[in-house]
Amino acid sequence: MSEGPDVLRILETGLKGVGLRQAVIANNIANLETPGFRRRDVLFDQVLADAIEDNKVADLDENEAWVFTPGTTPVSANGNDVNLDVEVGELLKNGALYKTYIRLLGRMYRQFDLAIRDNAG
Amino acid sequence: MSVQKLSTPVDIAVSGLRAQSLRLKTIAANIANASTTRTSSGEPYRRQDVLVRARDGLTGVTIGGIVQDAKGDFKRILQPGHPDADANGYVRMPNVEVPVEMMNLVTASRAYQANAAVLKRYQDLVEVTLELIR
Repeated sequence: MSEGPDVLRILETGLKGVGLRQAVIANNIANLETPGFRRRDVLFDQVLADAIEDNKVADLDENEAWVFTPGTTPVSANGNDVNLDVEVGELLKNGALYKTYIRLLGRMYRQFDLAIRDNAG
Repeated sequence: MSVQKLSTPVDIAVSGLRAQSLRLKTIAANIANASTTRTSSGEPYRRQDVLVRARDGLTGVTIGGIVQDAKGDFKRILQPGHPDADANGYVRMPNVEVPVEMMNLVTASRAYQANAAVLKRYQDLVEVTLELIR
């Protein structure tokens, strides 16, 4: 196919990363009151950068290497550092990113569709 | 460029939400301790306040810490039977004024709502942008 990064693959990686992020944030909120729990996040930029560089879909299913514990937020008395406001904000950002990728993907498929129809004449 | 950098309004609004929810917490503690005559230091309860500081640039607000209100004398009420009463029968009460705390409660919850409104409105704006690539 064409030179340069494959947009479909980048979008696929993006969607996978966003999906993983959604699960991680949900896990954070579920552990809002768990003593000693530290909030987790996804190395999202890293996932995307690797996918663009290697021109392939990052393998998020196999391991949890992309999930990390920032450990920078203030810890409360029970050793927990999850804050509901922060997680809601992250959820919001993640949702916006998800919608963006879905829209871009939809647009790409419509382009393919257009190409096929025109050739069928 | 980081993907996350696109969403600073969210981070700013969240920093506001965090600051205001801590204010709500300290107001709750102040009201709960409005008649606490003895704390672990042996003194009556002193009302607490949240210090909020602006972060550098357009990055929202940061919590400077919780400070004790050193001003405002303890009120003395005559109650000789009280275990914390002094030799003359006076008990020192906390420097918490419940009407003041109620007023702070209104401003803190309104400020929280305002930050939540910013968050919601930003979300709507992103949706509008995404309509362009439908």
